[in-house]
Amino acid sequence: MELLIDFLQNTGWYMLDYRYVIMIAIGTLFCYLAIAKEYEPLLLLPIGFGVIIGNIPFFKGFGLGIYESNSVLHYLYFGVTSGLYPSIVFLGLGAMTDFTSMLARPKLMLLGAAAQMGIYFTLLSALALGFEPKEAGAIAIIGGADGPTSIFLTAKLAPHLIGPIAIAAYSYMALIPIIQPPIMKLLTTKAERCIHMPDDSRVVSRKELLFFPIVGVLLCCLLAPASIPLLGPFFFGNLMKVSGVVDRLARTASSSIIDTATIFLGFTVGASTQADVFITTKSISIFFLGSVAFSIATASGLIFAKIMNLFLKEKINPLLGAAGVSAVPGSAREVHIVAQRDDPTNYLLMHAMACNSSGVIGSAICAGILWSFLL
Amino acid sequence: MQGLEAIAANNGWAMAVAGACIVMTGLATLSIIISQLHKFVRLIEKREAQAPAVVPAPKAQKEFLPIDPARILLDLEATAITLKSISGSLGESFSLISLYRLLDSEQHPHPHITVRELRDAGYLTPVGEGSFSWSRI
Repeated sequence: MELLIDFLQNTGWYMLDYRYVIMIAIGTLFCYLAIAKEYEPLLLLPIGFGVIIGNIPFFKGFGLGIYESNSVLHYLYFGVTSGLYPSIVFLGLGAMTDFTSMLARPKLMLLGAAAQMGIYFTLLSALALGFEPKEAGAIAIIGGADGPTSIFLTAKLAPHLIGPIAIAAYSYMALIPIIQPPIMKLLTTKAERCIHMPDDSRVVSRKELLFFPIVGVLLCCLLAPASIPLLGPFFFGNLMKVSGVVDRLARTASSSIIDTATIFLGFTVGASTQADVFITTKSISIFFLGSVAFSIATASGLIFAKIMNLFLKEKINPLLGAAGVSAVPGSAREVHIVAQRDDPTNYLLMHAMACNSSGVIGSAICAGILWSFLL
Repeated sequence: MQGLEAIAANNGWAMAVAGACIVMTGLATLSIIISQLHKFVRLIEKREAQAPAVVPAPKAQKEFLPIDPARILLDLEATAITLKSISGSLGESFSLISLYRLLDSEQHPHPHITVRELRDAGYLTPVGEGSFSWSRI
């Protein structure tokens, strides 16, 4: 009988309290959003399930929890804390990205740069709210709208905030169809949204596609060496894709490798998001600042496009500025859809992809800059 | 510490301005380079097209001296005597293949013609069962 009582007292049911119940409910909600609503399922499903697993209470000291040094989850979590998984994800992203539209329309890269202003605005806001500089830097990168970059920089600057920042970053990426359209409509007129982009982009040769990753990695990494762990694998993956001589490697990088890293990244980030870290005023502030970051990033891209139009003879559609955030291809798709609502003959997808692609590079450069400032 | 005071105390303004300028400059520079990349590629391709075609020099061919059957016939007896002396290892009777292999290993010029001429001239005579032996010398 005593044995039975001891056993019952060691079960998770006995140790459960309201905070764990809330977190398990949040994890379940993420799983629902991923499966039923298909909101960023590749990340929300592993994160959601990880949250459920990470918030099952247990006795400390048995090597079960993610923060216990001899546990399986802790070994898997090493890929997050060391920045390994984001680098591998970027390798796969580079192997999947087609830069043809960006190389054919290089001036749209400036919109990708402009959208990164959301990061610096959020940095100032986080400092103003009393966050430590490193915490502020980690929160600010949410404005880049890039999940792996957010996790990478947070792991370096403020590892104790990985959970709330990762969940904030991916949640807002999933909510792009809700966040961006109202800002796009607020900051543009119907006439501006109906601007057609010229369809006379030149043909990009194979040699240009080959030169680009070399030029890109040299320029970006020499400018911000701290972005090497992200942009190095990114451009390498792209070179593998366009070279045509290592198709097997490119295929593996863009499928098995990135999928494996994504599974472990999402699952361990979710498992690290435990009640005592997540249900705090700090987390609520992070969620609030994340929404500010996203909104400012969208707005700054839109406004910069309008400023560019003051100097250009051939106007660009300012909606493209909203695609300068790094959320590929979600925000490009959203820009295209918003444009089509006002003019069904307006096809902006390929132009928006050019801005999106440069946003990926821009957010990685910003991560490198913030890391070097806040080391 | 909060508000503008916190931003100033943590060097926030400088970080924000410097960071924004660096990322804008970086992407603007990349954009300019990319916009000129196709001209650079075209220049390389033009230079490759304009370079004079290098015609590879014809490979030095082995000089094939015309076979002078008369010359072989002239020296045929001497050739037969010489070959008989070096073919002692083949025995009294031997196959033409083994004689040919011997001539080849001795790097004799025109072993086939030599053996044919020797047969036609009667210096090599068949002894039955595919074997030959030297005669007349």
